[in-house]
Amino acid sequence: MRAASASLSPTTNASAGLRNTNHFNFTFPPLSTVKNNKNWSSLVVVRAIKDRKEAEKENVDEYNKESTTKQQQQQQQQQQQQQPLSLEDVNPVGLGRKSRQIFDEVWRKFSGLGQISRTTRADDQEALDALLVREGPMCEFAIPGAQNTTVLVVGATSRIGRIVVRKLMLRGYTVKALVRKADEEVVNLLPRSVEIVTGDVGDPSTLKEAVEGCNKIIYCATARSSITGDLFRVDQQGVSNLTKALQDYNNQLAQLRAGKSSKSKLLLAKFKSADSLNGWEIRQGTYFQDAVASKYDAGMDAKFEFTEAGEAVFSGYVFTRGGYVELSKKLSLPLGYTLDRYEGLVLSVGGNGRSYVLLLEAGPSADTTQSKLYFARISTKVGFCRVRVPFSSFRPVNPDDPPLDPFLVHTMTIRFEPRRQRPVERSGGVKQDLRSFKLILEYIKALPTGQETDFVLVSCTGLGVEPVRREQVLKAKRAGEDSLRRSGLGYTIIRPGPLTEEPGGQRALIFDQGNRISQGISCADVADICVKALHDSTARNKSFDVCYEYVAEQGRELYELVAHLPDKANNYLTPALSVLEKNT
Amino acid sequence: MACKLPTQLATPGKLHHHRQFTITSTTNPLSWRRTLSPEPILSLSTSFPSGKCIVKQLVTCSASGTAEATGTVNFGPGTPVRPTSILVVGATGTLGRQIVRRALDEGYDVRCLVRPRPAPADFLRDWGATADLSKPETIPATMVGVHTVIDCATGRPEEPIKTVDWEGKVALIQCAKAMGIQKYVFYSIHNCDKHPEVPLMEIKYCTEKFLQDSGLTHVIIRLCGFMQGLIGQYAVPILEEKSVWGTDAPTRIAYMDTQDIARLTLIALRNEKINGKLLTFAGPRAWTTQEVITLCERLAGQDANVTTVPVSVLRFTRQLTRFFEWTNDVADRLAFSEVLSSDIVFSAPMNETYNLLGVDQKDIITLEKYLQDYFANILKKLKDLKAQSKQSDFYI
Repeated sequence: MRAASASLSPTTNASAGLRNTNHFNFTFPPLSTVKNNKNWSSLVVVRAIKDRKEAEKENVDEYNKESTTKQQQQQQQQQQQQQPLSLEDVNPVGLGRKSRQIFDEVWRKFSGLGQISRTTRADDQEALDALLVREGPMCEFAIPGAQNTTVLVVGATSRIGRIVVRKLMLRGYTVKALVRKADEEVVNLLPRSVEIVTGDVGDPSTLKEAVEGCNKIIYCATARSSITGDLFRVDQQGVSNLTKALQDYNNQLAQLRAGKSSKSKLLLAKFKSADSLNGWEIRQGTYFQDAVASKYDAGMDAKFEFTEAGEAVFSGYVFTRGGYVELSKKLSLPLGYTLDRYEGLVLSVGGNGRSYVLLLEAGPSADTTQSKLYFARISTKVGFCRVRVPFSSFRPVNPDDPPLDPFLVHTMTIRFEPRRQRPVERSGGVKQDLRSFKLILEYIKALPTGQETDFVLVSCTGLGVEPVRREQVLKAKRAGEDSLRRSGLGYTIIRPGPLTEEPGGQRALIFDQGNRISQGISCADVADICVKALHDSTARNKSFDVCYEYVAEQGRELYELVAHLPDKANNYLTPALSVLEKNT
Repeated sequence: MACKLPTQLATPGKLHHHRQFTITSTTNPLSWRRTLSPEPILSLSTSFPSGKCIVKQLVTCSASGTAEATGTVNFGPGTPVRPTSILVVGATGTLGRQIVRRALDEGYDVRCLVRPRPAPADFLRDWGATADLSKPETIPATMVGVHTVIDCATGRPEEPIKTVDWEGKVALIQCAKAMGIQKYVFYSIHNCDKHPEVPLMEIKYCTEKFLQDSGLTHVIIRLCGFMQGLIGQYAVPILEEKSVWGTDAPTRIAYMDTQDIARLTLIALRNEKINGKLLTFAGPRAWTTQEVITLCERLAGQDANVTTVPVSVLRFTRQLTRFFEWTNDVADRLAFSEVLSSDIVFSAPMNETYNLLGVDQKDIITLEKYLQDYFANILKKLKDLKAQSKQSDFYI
């Protein structure tokens, strides 16, 4: 209040004060302090302004009253003028139509009272449907994110796929179905508004069109035979082709948005010129801090240089026991970017296939003494490769420290140590010295995180496959799973037990990891898990086995049902998956 | 009225057999009870001379092809039919569409029988159901490979009740029997055995009897009232500030959400113990019309413009219209007023049913909750619309 009054111009102050002096007959208090006086004067001003406003308001009210009476008079005059009826009003056809309308309406309502089954009229039905049946908020199937999500279902005519497509349609998703041949038979099997794309997962060129406009993929295709070629084409190469296609499409979108989309990676370091090596420093040290260390000190050396071939090479040797060399840099992220929006690092590296320790230093950047160290071991291959390191795989060096918070990361270090190196198999049979290393760095990027899964893969546990072929089937399936895990997409891998044809939602499900399940599961339940996993953040980057609960004969039950999940809002997936491991 | 009905199936010798469940109907005895005979139904599948088949006997039938088709398709007892394949008759209706949706979601293969209309049930096909037009000659073909038939069809008010609800049903049940359908679910009306004066209820009761005698494995479900119906009748007019018509009848109806009915139906379907039983589904509480209107007013936050019609007026109109043949349909439409006048409660204790089905009572939605959801959503939508219309005011 006081600030406002102070900002008023002095003239208004004065005039207001003048005008209102006759309203207030207060006496000034004895002018003991100047401060006090100031308070009083400002108070007066405030009161005065208030009063003036009130007065204005009264004026306005009076004016309004006058105007309304005027308007009323005008209206009366107009009404008097309009009294003589126009010809339109007494037109017998119009009157008849109007009266029939009224009579119909009344009769409809009247007869409605005397009926048991009332059907709503077509136009009412339309409005009602929008709310209750189609994707409306009162429809029990409605999912908030469904309307702007397009899902590609691969293997839409399979046992699981058919149900998946229907479930997606019921929930208001836009669905694309990838089929090999768009026969009439196949088309009739699918709901009418599903967009059908012809293509083959074994042929990458046909997949480009299929993933166009898709946000998510549900892959429930499987090889029709257990011939190795088929298995390879569908279960292994198919998954890999499709992940690539989706990644390419996402990258394309990211490029369109100039690297600003949520799908684009954040570049942390790119080694393409000699300048780009600035800021990286080499350090060395030993794990043994005492005098014994010096006894084993056999020397170590490392260098980081930009070669003439245009490669940034970190190389050297560590002969000292317990010694290490490391390459370290303080991260400088672009303004507005923090690593907590990313879920891991991806390194494009080459070299002679040693393993390294990636260290992240996290803590308030102002005070580096409070920083905590986190490490993750990475292994490289001979030649170039890309290594994905999720932040979740970093462990604190000091076991008492809290888990890594990517937001606080300020320094990154790549460390080589001769411990726990595995010899690389090489054709030449040359004896390698595991204590020397060479690491060619291309780039380091942060992988964007996502809340949801992008790719749901229905794999299998191997149960129910005839033993002769099991190895082969599993090998192809596992290879497919691996290529999905490495792809960088958010994934959910579901390995159901042997499939049965039963209505879903009837029996308790067991979610497990580690190949221990023994029972079958109905296709409908697998389909339900697929659909639920699409928007469930706990399902992201998880692989799990699922089957029905083992039901013993009467009287020999192992469990007692203690809780019954309510049927509506039946979200069993989140609690079931929250206890399972990620990135397995 | 009686002479219109198919009587050729009935054998005179069977008449006495059916008197035992003849209802004491004084006003308008219906002669179609004669056809409730199991033997002729069985003979339909084997040797039904197609020439003799009279048109009206089969579902809105106009052709005699049904009998021929029935004769040719011969289902031996061992033909494996997937238990997940169901046929929903009347799938476009208020209840039918919920059943289709629920069944599809639970992984059933759903086939629908819909009537040929200008835009026949596109939404069903969008959900992934197969929709067949209910042409009489194709009905047996539609039932090939079907395990269970769920029949939730009923005549629209503007249609003559008898053709759809009686002749159609009889033909459908006969056909199901002939095709070896393994379960037949039929929806009836609560208390239908107590009100033979209402044509629809009497027909439903007769159909129940017919189904029980047919020898099909069946489940009969009696319903009280749908919550969905209340929205068009009360909620929408109140929001639109139009007049709402209600009666002063003390009749109470336990309304139920069709989504719940669909859910319970599918549970009942899978339960072998329920075969041949008669279940009644009722909502958690029975409401009078006045109470419903009051509830709507409270939730909408505005007063309704209620026109209360005394039941006596309704009854009088019905009596009046029954005098003339050309207003008979109208009289049928008002028939429910006879029930309204009585101080009856359309509700049933559900505890036993819940136990039988293994359902928790908490999962059944109440009318308060249902209408609250409706109004909350509608009012939000209206608000959004207003906000949008404000945004579109551009002054250039």
